Amino acid sequence: MSETPLYRINNLKYRYENGRFLLHIPEFAIARGASIGIVGPNGGGKTTLLKILALLEDPDEGTVYFDGTKVDRTNDAMKRSVTMLLQEAYLLKRTVFENVAYGLKVRNEKQGLTEKVHRTLHMVGLPPDEFAQRRWHQLSGGEAQRVALASRLIINPRVLIMDEPTASVDQRSAVLIKDAVNTMREQFNTTLIVASHDLIWLNTVASQVFRVYEGRITGLASDNVIDGPWNPESDGLWKKVLPDGQVMFSATPPGDSAAKALLNPSDIVLAKAQPDGRDGLSARNIIRGTVTLLSEENHSKKVLATIDLGGLSVISRITRRAAESLHILPGTPIFVIFKASSLRWE
Amino acid sequence: MEYIFEGIVRAIELLLTGNEETYSAVFVTLKASTMSMIGSLALGIPCGFLLGYFDFPGKKQVRALVDTLLALPTVVVGLFVYAFVSYRGPLGEMQLLFTIPGIALAQTILVLPIVISLTATAVESLDKRLRSTLMALGARGKQIAIASILEARYAVMIAAVTAYGRAVSEVGISMMIGGNIKWHTRTITTAIALETGKGEFSMGIALGIVLLTLAFTVNALLTILKKRST
Amino acid sequence: MNKTIKKYLVLFLMVSCVIGIGSYAVAAEHVLKMATTTSTDNTGLLDYLAPTFRAETGIDLRWVSVGTGKALELGKNCDVDVLLVHAPDAEMQYVADGHGVDRRQIMYNDFVFIGPKNDPCAVKGRSAMETLKTIASQKGLFASRGDNSGTHKQELILWAEAEIPVPDKEPWYIQTGQGMLNTITIASERNAYTMTDRGTFIKYEANWRGNPPLVILVEGDKSLRNQYSVIAVNPKQCSNVKYDLASKFRAWMTLPKTQQLIGDFKLLGIQLFVPNAHEK
Repeated sequence: MSETPLYRINNLKYRYENGRFLLHIPEFAIARGASIGIVGPNGGGKTTLLKILALLEDPDEGTVYFDGTKVDRTNDAMKRSVTMLLQEAYLLKRTVFENVAYGLKVRNEKQGLTEKVHRTLHMVGLPPDEFAQRRWHQLSGGEAQRVALASRLIINPRVLIMDEPTASVDQRSAVLIKDAVNTMREQFNTTLIVASHDLIWLNTVASQVFRVYEGRITGLASDNVIDGPWNPESDGLWKKVLPDGQVMFSATPPGDSAAKALLNPSDIVLAKAQPDGRDGLSARNIIRGTVTLLSEENHSKKVLATIDLGGLSVISRITRRAAESLHILPGTPIFVIFKASSLRWE
Repeated sequence: MEYIFEGIVRAIELLLTGNEETYSAVFVTLKASTMSMIGSLALGIPCGFLLGYFDFPGKKQVRALVDTLLALPTVVVGLFVYAFVSYRGPLGEMQLLFTIPGIALAQTILVLPIVISLTATAVESLDKRLRSTLMALGARGKQIAIASILEARYAVMIAAVTAYGRAVSEVGISMMIGGNIKWHTRTITTAIALETGKGEFSMGIALGIVLLTLAFTVNALLTILKKRST
Repeated sequence: MNKTIKKYLVLFLMVSCVIGIGSYAVAAEHVLKMATTTSTDNTGLLDYLAPTFRAETGIDLRWVSVGTGKALELGKNCDVDVLLVHAPDAEMQYVADGHGVDRRQIMYNDFVFIGPKNDPCAVKGRSAMETLKTIASQKGLFASRGDNSGTHKQELILWAEAEIPVPDKEPWYIQTGQGMLNTITIASERNAYTMTDRGTFIKYEANWRGNPPLVILVEGDKSLRNQYSVIAVNPKQCSNVKYDLASKFRAWMTLPKTQQLIGDFKLLGIQLFVPNAHEK
């Protein structure tokens, strides 16, 4: 029984008023206790997807199952097990204390209220002595966001959904939000769904990051996306010319010449020196570039290296040991190697 | 010119010595306008909330009607209510004519559009994120409505104060429905009209000063509330 | 701080509510509602009589002062119990129509014609009829109440007696639609003639410290007598009216003692009303 996913989406469609699809998700599932990150451009349907998952909106078509049962927005118990922190969170025109206590008050859970509120305020780094009696307008952007988060955490939801929680907060608040969310997940195995533009921050809270693009979940966000145009070559390969004149080959034909290719970072091998000709190598693509950024992936403990290929950025996932033995640093010249068959089409 | 100065001196004298007639008019005014404010708030806030909160067919027309009624002339309300509360009228049995509750009834009708319109605007201009936030925090139907009104409370208080100001200062209704009966339904404004008609400027000026003081108080309250609501 | 203010506000609202309803509840018994004309109210006669009436009968007299036309209308609508008005022709019609009963004359004061001191139409000392004729023929400015009040009705009767159609649309005929004192004030501003009850004129004169721009030019004519009567609203038409209290009031007003009281009432030292309840 525990294998039932917490969320299952089946052929979900959500339309704009003009009838165009904003969201179209044929099949998607989220496991219990998962921590899902979502990235993608604005207007791509991220917020709508989150609101549907938060049971704040209904899809136009299709079904969402929550905990094995079809979502029913009249079911208060179901609705109350999910909460969402909206983008630019709204605080009620009350004190910080009343804001945080609200969720418990509407549930009529008034026992130990003060203690719970104070504990939750501590979790988000707001000492109650200093903040509990402040009014909603006496807070900085980051403090307000943390009050909003506290008012969700206190409910102890099964699912916490956050939409751009760090978009307009200071660095310290971003760290405090991460810590509070992670503490909560450790204690209660809360399922987490977060949309953010801040990939580095997102990687510190989410174990899996999906890309939502033009209303579709197009895969793991860590995939590299390579734009066309793609032109056919005589030997059955398809070729893209990079801005600096180097070329990249695909073994499979694109849908059309402007199609986007996806490349898994784990499929990219790095080499400090150029291999001796293509004859000794099974990979067709060997491209020269420069390391621009190194970051650590939270859940995998691997290193993500961002490499500039003469104007095109790609990310390669390598082990820490590999990174150390290669002695790569931002600025290091490097060769990127992958098979022409590693490119998939969107 | 002389009589104006004399009027002011006499006015201050009337106020300081606690002149019974003057204070009777002041209390009648406060009583009537307070009752009408309670009535109009009790009716107007729920109506305004419904109008601002829900979408329904004909909402725009209702809104336009309410906004038109904002400029309801007091004499029209007076006439209309007189027709109803006169013994020959449908509410004649209640004997409201020439009583303070009668004045309050008509004033309630006068200021109801103000309360409804301003409440509706207040609710409409609530932050779009409020509803989602309340739902996300687990509030349901009635809890959402109550929290929404509470969020709009400063704007609703502005509505109440504005309504009070209008009720306190109107003269048409107090004259037609109240009848300007000394000690009973003589309000500040009808007394001013009467005293001026009698040539008793000092009394008129004294009452005018009280009315101005009231207006200043109301305005000061409005300023404070407007600051708070933003 | 905030909570304390709220508590006081609630308290204030509740107290005023209770006072409002309370005073309304007390109002019901032994209150006689009367519609009367501005002249009896403005001169202070009723303020002078009501306390005595209350002391002797226990009845609380409350009055609204409006034009006679409006007063009769209030009676017709059963909104008052008794009338004290001064338009004999209209009153008799009113009684004949069954709206009022027990009409009884109480007292009179008189009307006077007033006008600018230099008297541009030379009406001083003429009779009422001649005065109107002269003003009309010379197109002298004349301010009329035009509000269907007793004074206005009296003026219309005089026009009819002078056999001149009411100069409704003449540019020299100013219809103010306001009370007597306002009408006199307008006449002063425009340097016009007007007809007023003596009481209001005395007040007006006092406001000007005895040196007003308008002075009495015509007085003492029999047709300028302004008769006041009490009429009870017909209880057969209006079951709600307090006919018994109205009768008590009428009887009290005709008592020799009360009649004496009315005769003794003085405004700025001048007698205003002549009691004549027992005059044939």
